[in-house]
Amino acid sequence: GLLVTTCGLLRHRPGGGGAYWVDSQQKRYVPVKGDHVIGIVTAKAGDVFRLDVGGSEPASLSYLAFEGATKRNRPNVQVGDLIYGQFVVANKDMEPEMVCIDSSGKSSGMGIIGQDGFLFKVSLGLIRKLLAPKCEIIQELSQLYPFELVIGMNGRIWVKAKTVQQTLIIVNILEACEYMTAEQRKQALAKLSGN
Amino acid sequence: RQPLSPCAAGERLCSTEEATAGSGTYTRHGFIFSSLAGCLDRKSEDNELPVVSVVRDSESQLLPNVGAVVTCKVCSINSRFAKVHILYVGSTPLKSTFRGTIRRQDIRATEKDKVEVYKSFRPSDIVLAKVISLGDAQSNYLLSTAENELGVVVARSEAGVQMVPISWCEMQCPRTHTKEFRKVARVQPQFLQT
Repeated sequence: GLLVTTCGLLRHRPGGGGAYWVDSQQKRYVPVKGDHVIGIVTAKAGDVFRLDVGGSEPASLSYLAFEGATKRNRPNVQVGDLIYGQFVVANKDMEPEMVCIDSSGKSSGMGIIGQDGFLFKVSLGLIRKLLAPKCEIIQELSQLYPFELVIGMNGRIWVKAKTVQQTLIIVNILEACEYMTAEQRKQALAKLSGN
Repeated sequence: RQPLSPCAAGERLCSTEEATAGSGTYTRHGFIFSSLAGCLDRKSEDNELPVVSVVRDSESQLLPNVGAVVTCKVCSINSRFAKVHILYVGSTPLKSTFRGTIRRQDIRATEKDKVEVYKSFRPSDIVLAKVISLGDAQSNYLLSTAENELGVVVARSEAGVQMVPISWCEMQCPRTHTKEFRKVARVQPQFLQT
C-alpha cells in the first residue's frame, strides 16, 4: 500500500490514473528532474560551469547547453551570474546537471538573467502558490507597478522594477505573503497604491 | 627449511655468495637486504644456493591480472564512469579491497555512446567485471563489463529489497514490482546456486 512520509495536506487528482500527493512546507530544496531553477555560477571548470542551486551538491551546466552555442561561440557567463535553467539529470546518486535549452533546442525563457534586479529566497510552499495558474498575488502586484519576475522552484525569486525603491517594495510584499491572509495583503496594496 | 624468524626492513641478511635473493629482498654492494618487515624464509635447493625471501603474511596477496574476472561493489557513480571496490578475484576473497573504475564506454559492447551510467549501475550493486588494465598513476584498475556474462549480479531496489533480473537491461523488485534499469550479467547455469 501507499504510506505517507511527510506531514502536510493530502491532495488528490482523479484524472488519468489518479494521483495522491502531500503538500508540505519546507525550505530546503531537493533537485528534481524537469524543475526550472535559478542557479548562481560559482566556478568555471573547463567547459562546464558549477552552479549553486541550494541543494546538497552544486549542479553542472555545460557551455554548449545554451541556445545558439557552439564550440566557437561560447556564452558570456561570469562567476556570480544568475542562470535560469532546468534539470536534465537529478537523482540521489549523482550530481545534478542543468541545461538552458528545452528538448527542441530553443531557450524558451531560460538562460542568463540580466543585470540589476534583486534575488531573494522564500519557502517552497510560497513558490508553488505563486506558480499556480491565475495566482492572485501576481495579478494584484502587476496592477501596482510593472516589473520583471523570475521564479525558481528552488525557493529563489528574482525581481526587477523601474526603480530600486519599487523593486524593494515588491520584494517585501512577496516575502510577507508567506504569513499574510488575503485581506491583509489587499489592505497593504491599497495603502501603497494610494500613496 | 628453517623456522621463520622475524626481520625488519633494511636489515642485512647475508652475502650474495651464501644465498640468492628471493621475493621481498634486494641486493646491494654484494649483500642481500630485506625490503619488507616480515618473516625470513630460507629455502635450500639441492644443487644451487638457497633462496632467501621475506614474507609479510603467511599467504601472498593475490593480485588481479589483466583478463581476470573480478567481483566488485559499486561505491559511486558519475556521468562518465563508475568507481568500484574489488572484493574477489575469481573465487578467492581479497584481504584488502582494491579500487577500480568502469568507464562509460566499457560498460557495453554495442551502442557505446547511448549508454547511461545511471541506467547500468547504482551504488551498492555487486558487479562481475574483467580487468582490462592494471591502471594509471592513481592505481585504479580499469575494468570492463562489455560481455554478456559480465554486469550486475546482485542489486537492491529503492525499497531495499533484492531485485530479480527480467532481461539483460532490467531488474524488478519483488515487493513493489517496480522495474529498474541495470546492465544485468547472464550468469552461466553451473555457477547458479538455488
